[in-house]
Amino acid sequence: MRDPDSRAGNKLIRLPRWLTSEHPFPWLFPASAMLIVFGLYPVLYSLWLSMFKRNPATRIETFRPSWNWSKVFADDRVIDAVSVTLTYTFVALTIQLVLGLGIALLLDSDRKGFGLLRSLMILPLVVPPAVTGMMFLLMYDGSFGVISHMLYGLGLLSPSTPILAGGTSALWGVIIADVWQWTPFMVLIMLAGLRALPKDPFEAAAIDGATDMQAFFRLTLPMMSKIIALAVLIRGIDLFRIYDYIKVMTDSGPVTATDTLSAYAGTLYFKNADFPYASTVALFTLILVVIIANLFIKIFKVRF
Amino acid sequence: MHDSTLKLTLRYLVSILIVGIFVFPIAWWGLTSVKPISAVFDKDRIVVFDFEPTLENYRVTVLGYSKRGSKEDGKTLMGTSGNNSYDGRSSIVSSVIVAVGSTLITTIFALLASYGLSRMRFWGSQGYLNWILSQRFLPPVAIIVPLVFIFHDMGLRDTHAGLIIAHTLINIPIAVLLLKSFMDDIPIDIDQAAMIDGATRFQCFWMVILPMVKGGLAATAVLCFVFSWTEFLLSLFLTSSIRTIPVKITTYVTSTGSEWGYISALGTSAILPSFIFILLVQRHLVRGLTMGAIKD
Repeated sequence: MRDPDSRAGNKLIRLPRWLTSEHPFPWLFPASAMLIVFGLYPVLYSLWLSMFKRNPATRIETFRPSWNWSKVFADDRVIDAVSVTLTYTFVALTIQLVLGLGIALLLDSDRKGFGLLRSLMILPLVVPPAVTGMMFLLMYDGSFGVISHMLYGLGLLSPSTPILAGGTSALWGVIIADVWQWTPFMVLIMLAGLRALPKDPFEAAAIDGATDMQAFFRLTLPMMSKIIALAVLIRGIDLFRIYDYIKVMTDSGPVTATDTLSAYAGTLYFKNADFPYASTVALFTLILVVIIANLFIKIFKVRF
Repeated sequence: MHDSTLKLTLRYLVSILIVGIFVFPIAWWGLTSVKPISAVFDKDRIVVFDFEPTLENYRVTVLGYSKRGSKEDGKTLMGTSGNNSYDGRSSIVSSVIVAVGSTLITTIFALLASYGLSRMRFWGSQGYLNWILSQRFLPPVAIIVPLVFIFHDMGLRDTHAGLIIAHTLINIPIAVLLLKSFMDDIPIDIDQAAMIDGATRFQCFWMVILPMVKGGLAATAVLCFVFSWTEFLLSLFLTSSIRTIPVKITTYVTSTGSEWGYISALGTSAILPSFIFILLVQRHLVRGLTMGAIKD
């Protein structure tokens, strides 16, 4: 039997409907409040900051809404940073995608030992990116780095020009660290995609005498296209806002050869203390991410 | 099946070789952490195995012993600051506090939000989901400058609480989308049956749905922990005396040289806990990394 008192007690306090657990509001409130106060508000604050002109000598900031924004489009370092960021994103993404798909195909087997290999493959993902940067810094070191010594042995590099000292080779050096850390991400996603493929079409193709190559290009790739698009989107966005490796390994150098948009914004903030312009460059990065990501989502019909 | 023995052997060899290449940097790192200084800084050749293993680097960074007197009698060989600057204990404590704290808050907030999103139809729910998703794509640099000002005004700069909030902020979108995908797997009939039996919404969530998403919750918590544990940019800008492990490690690089022994010892210690956690929830890892978009 129900306790009549407790039912009566419930009726004493009548909450408005939107505060009861029947309404979505109380469920969504804590997370939303967090995202509004510490996620949305800072973006609007950034926008506000970007409308001030800072005088480097007097450190006085005056309200000039378009000053920084016209500066962004005329700043050679921004143009450089956009091209470095795009190169970095495109090259790293392509390598990671091709390697990821290849390694996934290789490891997609129920035979003994492949489970262990798949688990070991996850290892790079749990290394803090800053630590990855340091790890490669040690291996690239000109006098006692193991990768440098291997390259010396192969005659691909001379001790007078360390990997991270040359413009192009420095960018490659950072990309290789990124590829090492994030190819496993692609492998995991591609493996999940391969596992979910239906068996019938492949059996039919085998009966019709299709080669492995044909089966891969005519069946596997088209059926995996949705998953590939999703993986490219997630990884692409992370690559576009790359910061950790650059900061730890090259600090945008040599000169500005590895200066990405995020790294440049960080420099403006940290070294120049030019908060208005740093905010503008950071917002510019955000706008580019939003435009590129939305175009990609529209074109490839990615769904979450 | 149809594979010939030759083909299979080849496949094993290539697989082992490739996985070996990916494991190599970590193995090298682990090896460096037990090498004496002379073996790390050998300019003439690469020392692989022929050295006397030592735990000195772990003694200094993880256990906090002061650096042993070097050849120059008490003077520090490298590094500009005193002997205790390589003590990583406080940064390990900070990392644990921040990672555990932010994981707890994130999962609680995300559990509530994901239940609402998964079980209730309301105007703007799709828009709300898109908004949450867009937060995941926000470059940290776009909010870091104002976040520093806001944190400064609120007294959160350089506190554990502040960093917990910052990491909660970056993890909430992933946690909400991931938990929602786990909840969407549970038929809505179960909620309706529970409510017909007299359960309130909250009882239904707490006593019926929550036990059913335990596995998903564990996976979400592990991912949040690992993301917080490895996060660098926000920790770097929002703190100065509190140092999480990734930031602390970068301070071992000084103008006079890098203490590779200490760097690798603390780095290896930082990798171990996340790897063990990740292995425990390996089954849900793909769903986690794609924010619930790919189910496995």
